[in-house]
Amino acid sequence: MRAFMKQTLALAGLLLVLSGAGAQPAHMPHRTARAQLASGVAWAPDGRLWLAGLDTQNRLFVQTAPAHELQRWSAPRLLDTAGDAISADGENRPKLAFGPQGQVVISYTQPLAQPYTGMIRMLRSSDGGQTFSAPFTVHADRQPITHRFESIAFDAQGVLHTVWIDKRDQVLAPKVGKKSSYRGAAIYRNASRDGGATFGPDIKVADHSCECCRIALALGADGRLRALWRHVFEPNVRDHAFAVLADDSAAGVVRASFDGWQVDACPHHGPGLALAADGGFHAVWFGIRRQGDDDVAAVRYARLNADGSPRLDSVRMLPDEGAEHADVLAWAQRVALVWRSVEGAHSTLKAWLSSDGGQQFRLVTLGQVNGDNDHPRLAQRGERMVVVWRTMKEVQVHELHF
Amino acid sequence: MNCISELHRRRSVLAAALALPGILMSNRALAHDHHAPAAIKSVADFDAAVWAQLLREGPRPAAYVFTTTYCSTCPEVFELLHARISAARRPVALAAVVMDAQGARALAHAHHYTGVTRLYAFNGFEPEIRQAVDPKWRNITPYVVLLDRQGRTQRVIGPPDAAQLKAWLA
Repeated sequence: MRAFMKQTLALAGLLLVLSGAGAQPAHMPHRTARAQLASGVAWAPDGRLWLAGLDTQNRLFVQTAPAHELQRWSAPRLLDTAGDAISADGENRPKLAFGPQGQVVISYTQPLAQPYTGMIRMLRSSDGGQTFSAPFTVHADRQPITHRFESIAFDAQGVLHTVWIDKRDQVLAPKVGKKSSYRGAAIYRNASRDGGATFGPDIKVADHSCECCRIALALGADGRLRALWRHVFEPNVRDHAFAVLADDSAAGVVRASFDGWQVDACPHHGPGLALAADGGFHAVWFGIRRQGDDDVAAVRYARLNADGSPRLDSVRMLPDEGAEHADVLAWAQRVALVWRSVEGAHSTLKAWLSSDGGQQFRLVTLGQVNGDNDHPRLAQRGERMVVVWRTMKEVQVHELHF
Repeated sequence: MNCISELHRRRSVLAAALALPGILMSNRALAHDHHAPAAIKSVADFDAAVWAQLLREGPRPAAYVFTTTYCSTCPEVFELLHARISAARRPVALAAVVMDAQGARALAHAHHYTGVTRLYAFNGFEPEIRQAVDPKWRNITPYVVLLDRQGRTQRVIGPPDAAQLKAWLA
């Protein structure tokens, strides 16, 4: 170690000399590439669990595990993305969805040259994932602006929905000085009735969303999709909004959380949503709420009514100050909240499990790891629920037992 | 496990060594920053050791803006700080610390950060480095640390207000 320290000091001295007493070093440090671990998971109709992610060279791959042996992942299979760059950090990641007639779609955000710009791209298979199409852009708008943080899901009628954060309205809004007069971004969506072969027009769901948090999707009791996202309510309150994704929905946008968090910043922390047995929803989100004289940052859980409005007496904090990027699944009276908690280099995967519809929970530790890791990803097939956790070393699968 | 710790320690020491020229950069070198900041051509590693050293031995006053490549609310904070520095007409370091990209990817965003005099990029597990900066900070950006001439810090999520800016460069 002493020799190493000498070498290090010598290197620092050399850099100081070469940099001309204060100028910046001429070269950037060289290092091996780090994998972007953010991944998507989903169950295939045949019972295999699928994962889509990026390898250390940022190439898109899929791998699968059989239903009876979820730790036995197949070798990664690279997919041709025609050279697209792919966002897979923060709350961006590749995503998977399976349609009713052998369709498999994989979506991702392709970042463009200008900061904060992107296109929502998709690969499509019509043979159960044996072969995939070349990537294509999902939305009709092709301006090099923000189209990012997409979510995808099939509804009960087999219609594929894509929802994303879009800044076309912000671009058009008048500026006040250098700043746009438009608050935040917007939520847009489209629908495909042929499993991703063709898409309907881009439809605005809501003005004034937050700019870089994931959008949660869940099926309602009527088989139609609901979306929950972080919104920017006037003047700068970053609470959550809820909407039905349907052409004939007259419900509009419903406010789903009331933390009252006013901030001109990006939380990078989107919500989770799952259908409850009574037709309402279970929701989980991060926010900062004024409690007495303190601003309390926490991941909170609450029940929502069927229209998305919150049952305010059900709001409670997860029992972990370090909880981040929590997500939720539910089946009948079973509810699972899963999150990552980090302390230094050490990460713990935790679950809060309820068997009575979210009235009481028990805390369970599912796994621990040192070093880089993804947020927990949840997958559900009927009453079977799993948590997939990708680390630098492996892809763990944890079955949830209530 | 020991090997991992040793490797991590060596990486931290190496990162600190690589960052030293920037840390020791004199305020004289920053003297013309408030007129026309030079284009950023390099990016330095940032981790817990570098941060400790910057607080201890780095330029003062200084502002550190922690940001990500997908944080679209961040550029406004650089504009705000740059305007305050320009109005103060004195040498002040304004550093951008990119949390989600390294090397060329981080550098590609530098032109978007008005007035920046130094660019850093997280090197390591993001939450671990973030907690070393502030254990309570929950990945919200921009996260701003204002370091005054005496080395006192103010920590702000989002744009600092007028009182915080005044106290910083008082």
